[in-house]
Amino acid sequence: MSEQTVARQRAQGDAYAKKNARPFTAYLQPSIVYILLIIGVIIVVVPLMWAAAASFTPNHKVFEYAYPFSWRALFPVDFTMEAYDNLLERGFGRAVGNSFFLAIATVIIGGAANALAGFAFGRFEFRGKQFLFLSVIMLTFMVPVDLTAIPRYILVNNFGWINTWQGLLVPGLANSLVIFLFRQFFAEIPQELIDAARVDGASWLRVLVSIIMPISKPVLVAAGLLMFISQWNSFFWPLLIAPRQEMRVVQVEISLAIGQYGTIWNELLAGSMIAAIVPILLVMPFQRYYVQAITGTGLE
Amino acid sequence: MRLNRQLIPYLFLAPALLLLIIFNLVPTIATLVESTFILSLRSGERVFAGFANYNRIFNDPVFWKSLQVTIVFSLLVNPIQIFLALCLSILINQKLPGIGVFRSIYLLPIAVSLNVTAIVWGLMLDQNSGMINGILTQWGIARQPFLHSVDQALWSIIVIASWIGVPLWSLFILAGLQNIPPPVLEAAKIDGANSWQSFTKITLPLLRRVLAFVLVADTVANFLMFAPILLLTNGGPQLSTNLIMYETYRRGFLYGDLGASSAMLSVMLVIVFVIIGVELYVLRGQD
Repeated sequence: MSEQTVARQRAQGDAYAKKNARPFTAYLQPSIVYILLIIGVIIVVVPLMWAAAASFTPNHKVFEYAYPFSWRALFPVDFTMEAYDNLLERGFGRAVGNSFFLAIATVIIGGAANALAGFAFGRFEFRGKQFLFLSVIMLTFMVPVDLTAIPRYILVNNFGWINTWQGLLVPGLANSLVIFLFRQFFAEIPQELIDAARVDGASWLRVLVSIIMPISKPVLVAAGLLMFISQWNSFFWPLLIAPRQEMRVVQVEISLAIGQYGTIWNELLAGSMIAAIVPILLVMPFQRYYVQAITGTGLE
Repeated sequence: MRLNRQLIPYLFLAPALLLLIIFNLVPTIATLVESTFILSLRSGERVFAGFANYNRIFNDPVFWKSLQVTIVFSLLVNPIQIFLALCLSILINQKLPGIGVFRSIYLLPIAVSLNVTAIVWGLMLDQNSGMINGILTQWGIARQPFLHSVDQALWSIIVIASWIGVPLWSLFILAGLQNIPPPVLEAAKIDGANSWQSFTKITLPLLRRVLAFVLVADTVANFLMFAPILLLTNGGPQLSTNLIMYETYRRGFLYGDLGASSAMLSVMLVIVFVIIGVELYVLRGQD
């Protein structure tokens, strides 16, 4: 189904939905829908509320209202910053800094490389295009990165990149899902826009930077979010490649915390909340873009 | 200076494509090659071994046990997640006041990493003083051992994986639902179909592609389930949660036996390719 057909059908659907207040999906009783949705929300929100509340609670009281359960478990009734203060003293701030640095570097460097590749696939005809797309992009998209971690580890070890920033950063820069997103978006930009600039003698790189990029905000936000969050949440690779303490990222630090100070629950949860809040704060204002970024490939 | 026009797309492609080839494509092939070597992380020696690694893992009951656990896990977690994701997507597709707020809330687990989810749920499921036991006790049900029980540990992992998985896959199905033009469903209604009939006869068939994609992507993702095992159970109790991805990590990085680990990963790679092949077969000749 082409993009235009989908867009047209969506437009028809919207017009229809406006005209008819009860489209198909409203056949379910609203009260039942709300009850089911609220049950789901409880399952989603209660663990997060308890974890957040417990992270602001003295360690000996972490389970006090959880077992036996009372609503107080969901609120920091004995509020203290103790867990966060202790975490910072243990050097957790360093891990947060490392994660931010890696995620931002991935967005900038990886974003540039992926955008260029997406532009080539979306706007150029060249020999080997189909072959390269199927053999490199599709294949690397389908094989999960964690499955090939051991040979990648051996390769990176040969480069002497264990416990280095290059080792953490470089293998994750190129991302076939992101190239896919860029390709889809660039392919739909009207040709006239590009032709006009080309006639004026602008180079391709210039066209990309001064014509295409300004109108590409949706795909830039979507791709940026996707790259930032998948780097921030990545765990297996940093665990293998950079075990040294100064190199640890947030996800590795909290995973080691379980073993190292596993009974200091409030600190474990404080670290988890720091790891969770960053992607949540990024996703919430840009939900539409993020959902598009995740689901973008599944429907092609 | 003007570059040769023909070269421009290749120049644009070069950085990303080279990175993908070096760090993704080569390791994919190398997994298969590496499985024919015996390599020790400790001594650094690397000796060609033919099928010795495969012989070792195929004669190892721990490997077969972990494969069995992984298959049982897959047969449980994937249908559960997809069924619940389908239900959730139908619920959040309703045009009701406040539905946007619900959609936003259901995005929360998707933003949170599997590690954080495992840590929080690990404490929620604590056998002595976790909140779930706190609630069960209030309802007059005895405390449950959850992650410490051979019978319940795998189910606990399923709950943890689904807390992220159900909302995540529901997004894909929701996108599929929204692609169905309302006139199609309206026509069915006019023809006298009740809502169950129009769901099974029209909506589900139109969702076939999306559901097939979700089935494959979910199966592959759960096949590689790792973080909750490392953080919560280490494969136990009694290997009852020793999923294959954790077994490869344990062999390769805790015991330093990268040969056996690579052989297992090769077996997994073949399984993933079979799963993807089935997907391509199911989706063939459409669009």
